[in-house]
Amino acid sequence: MPHVHPQHTTLRDPSKLFYQTEYNRRLIIASYWVILIAAIPIWWHTTSIQRLSLPTSRVHSQAGKQLRFPVEITLENIRDVSLSAALQQLIHERIGGSGLEVRVRNQDNAHSVESYTVSAHNDIAFASQRHLMYPVRSATLPILADTLSTLLVPLTNSHHVAHYSPRYRLAFTLLNEDAAAGQAITSWDISGAISHHLLPILDSLSALHNFTIESQVQYHAPLAFSPISLLDGAGFGLTPEDLTVFINSAEWTLSSSVSNDPVLHFIAFIPSASRRPLQILNSQGRPSSSYTFLLPQWGGIVVYNPPPELQESTHFPPSALNSVFSTFATQLLTLLGVADVPAGVKTDSSVLTGWQLDALLRRRALENSAEAQETLRSIVKIVDQIENMPVGQDVRGDVQNSLTALDQMYTSASTSLNDTLHQSADALSLASRAFFNPGMLALLYFPAEHKYAVYMPLFASAVIPLIATAAREIRAWRRQRREVQGVQQ
Amino acid sequence: MLHWKCRLLWSLYFTLAGFSHSFSSETFEEELTVQTLRDGKVATRFSFSTVLGGATPRNPHNLSIEDDSQHYTLFPLTLGQILREYAVTELHLTLNAGKWNYDRWGYPDEEGVGTGAELWAWIGDGAVATVDERWRDLRNALAGLFCASLGSLDELRTTAPALTFTPGALPDWPLPHAIRHASLPSEHVCTENLTPFLKLLPCKSLSGIASLLNSHRLFDADWHGMGLHVSWLPDDGVQVRLTFQAVTDPLRASSNKRDWSFASIFDRSIERACPVAASSRIVVALPVNAAYSINPQPSSDEQGYATFNVAEQAKPLDVSMQWPANFEHSKSIRLATYSVTPFAESPLSIRRTLKGSTQDHGKLSVFIQNDATTTTEVAYLETMPWIVQFYLHTLTVSIDNIVRDDLLKNISYTPPVPHSRAMMFQAVLVLPARSTVHLTIDITKAFLRYTEHPPDAQRGWDLPPAVLVPLGGLARQRIYTPTLLVDLATPDFSMPYNVIIFTCTLIAFIFGSVFNYLTRKFVVLYKESN
Amino acid sequence: MNLKRSLDAGGIVFPVLVGGRLLLALTNLSGALKRDHQLSSPLTSYLNLQEGIFLFKNGVDPYSGGVFRHSPLFLALFTTVLPASRTVSSIIWTLCDALGAWALVQVWRARQQVAKTSRDSLIAAAYLLNPYLFLPTLALSTSSFENTLALLALMFAARGDASRSLLAAALLLQFSLSSILLLAPLLLLLASSPVSQLASPRAFSANGKSITSFVAEFLAYTTVLTLASTLVSGGWAWIPQTWGASLTLPDLTPNVGVWWYFFTEMFDHFRPFFLMVFSVHLLIYVAPVCIKFQYDPLYAAFVLLGVLGTFKSYPSMADPGLFISMIAIFPEIFPCKHPIVTALLHLHAALLMPLFHHLWLNQGTGNANFFYATTLVFACANGAALTDCIWAGLMIAIGEPQEDYVVVQE
Repeated sequence: MPHVHPQHTTLRDPSKLFYQTEYNRRLIIASYWVILIAAIPIWWHTTSIQRLSLPTSRVHSQAGKQLRFPVEITLENIRDVSLSAALQQLIHERIGGSGLEVRVRNQDNAHSVESYTVSAHNDIAFASQRHLMYPVRSATLPILADTLSTLLVPLTNSHHVAHYSPRYRLAFTLLNEDAAAGQAITSWDISGAISHHLLPILDSLSALHNFTIESQVQYHAPLAFSPISLLDGAGFGLTPEDLTVFINSAEWTLSSSVSNDPVLHFIAFIPSASRRPLQILNSQGRPSSSYTFLLPQWGGIVVYNPPPELQESTHFPPSALNSVFSTFATQLLTLLGVADVPAGVKTDSSVLTGWQLDALLRRRALENSAEAQETLRSIVKIVDQIENMPVGQDVRGDVQNSLTALDQMYTSASTSLNDTLHQSADALSLASRAFFNPGMLALLYFPAEHKYAVYMPLFASAVIPLIATAAREIRAWRRQRREVQGVQQ
Repeated sequence: MLHWKCRLLWSLYFTLAGFSHSFSSETFEEELTVQTLRDGKVATRFSFSTVLGGATPRNPHNLSIEDDSQHYTLFPLTLGQILREYAVTELHLTLNAGKWNYDRWGYPDEEGVGTGAELWAWIGDGAVATVDERWRDLRNALAGLFCASLGSLDELRTTAPALTFTPGALPDWPLPHAIRHASLPSEHVCTENLTPFLKLLPCKSLSGIASLLNSHRLFDADWHGMGLHVSWLPDDGVQVRLTFQAVTDPLRASSNKRDWSFASIFDRSIERACPVAASSRIVVALPVNAAYSINPQPSSDEQGYATFNVAEQAKPLDVSMQWPANFEHSKSIRLATYSVTPFAESPLSIRRTLKGSTQDHGKLSVFIQNDATTTTEVAYLETMPWIVQFYLHTLTVSIDNIVRDDLLKNISYTPPVPHSRAMMFQAVLVLPARSTVHLTIDITKAFLRYTEHPPDAQRGWDLPPAVLVPLGGLARQRIYTPTLLVDLATPDFSMPYNVIIFTCTLIAFIFGSVFNYLTRKFVVLYKESN
Repeated sequence: MNLKRSLDAGGIVFPVLVGGRLLLALTNLSGALKRDHQLSSPLTSYLNLQEGIFLFKNGVDPYSGGVFRHSPLFLALFTTVLPASRTVSSIIWTLCDALGAWALVQVWRARQQVAKTSRDSLIAAAYLLNPYLFLPTLALSTSSFENTLALLALMFAARGDASRSLLAAALLLQFSLSSILLLAPLLLLLASSPVSQLASPRAFSANGKSITSFVAEFLAYTTVLTLASTLVSGGWAWIPQTWGASLTLPDLTPNVGVWWYFFTEMFDHFRPFFLMVFSVHLLIYVAPVCIKFQYDPLYAAFVLLGVLGTFKSYPSMADPGLFISMIAIFPEIFPCKHPIVTALLHLHAALLMPLFHHLWLNQGTGNANFFYATTLVFACANGAALTDCIWAGLMIAIGEPQEDYVVVQE
């Protein structure tokens, strides 16, 4: 019921006052709302968590794609077309499911640059670059198919192979267990050994990795355990259990990387003069002939016992250094996943064949692409699950670029293995960078309840009257309009 | 086929060209000096120096290209990696505990004795990464290496006092070098810092002089500190010097016997020599005009110093010194009945205090007494985190309450920026002969956000020491004043929500009242009177 | 010009008051008061001004650090025209207050449309003897200049002298960003008259054209002054240091306002948001107040001064002080709603604030909450005064209160 101004008072009726006119009041309420609404974008800007949308569907569609490498094998100087067809069939049976599309052709077919060639030779099997000389006969076809399959998709112990990185740090350490005990080896010709034994390998692997090389000598590197003393003065022994705890990282100052590149360690361990000869025992507890062992994905270790006739501290004997470094070279190949050629096939041992390199390139590309896809899926999943997680432009850019690299990788798989690998590596590193982006953690611990508690005191008490008044005015305005319409009718 | 041959040739060429230059001459030298001080305490100083012969610091211009391989036999690889990764030309890190008493102990052998952590480096410009970026990465890398909280030597602590912290030799590169300096007086030095320090030594603490470094004893000393110094010696190469200094008090055990031995100071003796040390010496400063005996027989004894060559001495080596005469406590400083070959005595005596009991302002007062008979100029440096701001217009310099503004010149001042940059005040101060210069300046203390306070906010903040460097006549050795403690006003740390609720409610109340008056209708009501 | 005449007209009281204030200025009170956080904020502190002048004279850019947050015009003024010695400064500050008092009297006369009233002396006294105003002046806080400029702008506007009024407002804006709030009522005042219309509200007869030209003139002055500031300081660094500071609150030194402790305790994530809210909150009053009091823009300006005194980012006592002294020129509003409560709140806050400030920072026996609580009381007092004045200003139109009748809100 509208209020009626009492009579018999000198007070003026407020409703007749100018400032109380409806128009004036609504203007004031509107001016509040104008500022309030104008502030909303700034509010958004100051508190919003940047959460850009990720290309989710593109990430999920990656799951259906698989890398396929076309492989072309040309039989040189072999005219028999049936042989090539049979060989292709045999190879397909063996490695059909590994992403390779093998085609065997005779020479007269079109010759592509990157194709593998097989030529007949009377009695030896010799592999060089992408060429295989083999006694090709109908009878040897299954064995040839085995050999080719193993060359194309070799079996490697993936447990040993270090995680892929475009750059590794190779850290060579000459470790004297106790130089002060005498007969220590205090220096070595590291540059010569590296250039002789490792550079050819590193050079041929340059398509896959870059390497930073560094070395140091340590004079006191105590073991965390005591090697068992062998009977009849045959020295000391390291049991297989000892080998697992051999690295004493608390006391040894091994290279720690200042950058993020993974480090592969190669250690030449010189036992203390009082603990020689130090031998590696087999599981039966007997000394084995080997003085080397590999720590999977970490590096290689060679135990070198200087000959007893060695006098005081000295330079590493060159012949011994040679054998140590050829071991390091083998260990490096194992750690990097380079497979041996199949038994029975000879090679020029100093260089890697194209077969080996290509197999490694394919393998790394497959690993990288699978891992990149997995990482991308994880990002999408975690962003989906945690609603407070900010997603900035850098994260989105990395995810998009990673997907682009993956897409390019599929198309270049048929043209260049090097490109494929690099694109897969890019995809992986971009995906990992997006995944570990520190900006994504910013607000993980700022739950919604907390936010309401901060906002409430001001907004509950300041904005609610504003809303209530606005609502009442709108209601009144509607009623008036209805009344006006009613009068008109 | 041809391609393959080319590759082979190429690698052969590589091999011949020398894949890397390995440093031919690395030398390691170690030295221990022991000296009885005027007040009966014993100062020991370890110095381990490794020189990488013929090497030069990395030119930051080459940071973008592949670095040479690093092959070291004695030089610490972990440190070499850091130096090359960030192209640092000169680096000094000191971690000290306690207050070096210049008046009683004279100048130290190693001049970096400021309390807490201090890091300064000369870094060449010209790389893609700026000097400040590399300085930040360097801090983080060293923090990782030394397990110290050097990461908190951040931009809030970083200054560039080029006048006071002068470099050794710097390579002649087209772009200039820049200094970055930061100190953290509240850093506590402990065993965790010594272990990585020892790991940088070729013989660790397992043989040679370093085997005396027994953390339990050293960290119990009156004063102790360690240092890492990397510098470039143009004729020799890059030198890494690790130092450890300690001042121990033999009088603590027996009140009037100054006798000391390795066993009493370190609780250890040298069992074995370090096999790779080019020289390994123990130098003992001998008293003058006082009876003493030293065991075992020194390798040489000249000019007041007994020298022991560790490699030649019989092991275990435990050097000891006995004083037949008792130590006179009261007269010890003034009337020394004997004179040890002293540390170079400091002619300057400095007293620096922060006055004012309030939590929002105060007055810094510095007395510098010059005992020398000549006028001396010193470079004077104050660095402060932004929480303390100087009112430079209140700076006064006086002698015996007579204002002498002419004594201060070449002032350079970097004002602090709240929440982001430290303050640096650097000037040349003229100290007239036999006079005490009194310097005062008003300061104001900042009010911090509650998240900027440390967990133990009531304890106060340690302020870095002032540094004075005599210019000209006197030995150009830095002198550090003791650190100061400043207490800042603290908010109530339990209040955030209360404050949000109180203030917001009040604002909303006033806002709501105004809103009501401006929008709601007034009406006149008749009030029934009784 | 007519200062002499008005002094004559004001009789003996005004010179006596100014003389008394000058004597007070010559005592050494300023030394004791200049550090007081209640009398000067980091943006108006005399010590910071001196430091800035010292740095400027010695070739260090005062805006490269975080101490100096005054306008470059102060630098220009104090390095060229005026000596910065303590005594001279005290006298200048006091004379500035006298000028403010004179301007207030002139505003009153313009409102009453008479040359001289018996109330003049009372108004001058209300300004010159208000402790909220003369203590900051003794502490040499530059807020005295801001107040005088605000009053001069209002005075010239009341007299219809548009250019001078806008120039004074533009100068004021250089010294204090939040004073932009006063621009709207000032423009309305220029376009209408200062005569009290509180009793007879009517619509503002807008002359849109003249207002546009006033805005253009104000913008021109502001641009010129901003460029002058930039020339003086040799760069744009002064803008984030002076204007920016009142928006981002980099210095959390305690003051009598509500911002400092709130942002000391604020979570970092919400800091930008609440800085925005607090700034916008100031702005939100302008339009409603100007619309409601469009028939008496001087009153709207007065109300907005009350808002500034309560809610600005770096207030000192001088800001609410100006509002309180200005009540003197609106005698018609005296039947306030709760005058006793408001006065007691002010008394309470004015006594407890210095005490708790001392206990917290000097004595060390209190903590920050003590002082914070008193600033809340002070804000309550200012808020109560503000709402009282709005209520009283609206009531006049309804009429004198009458027995048995009560005015309420629907």
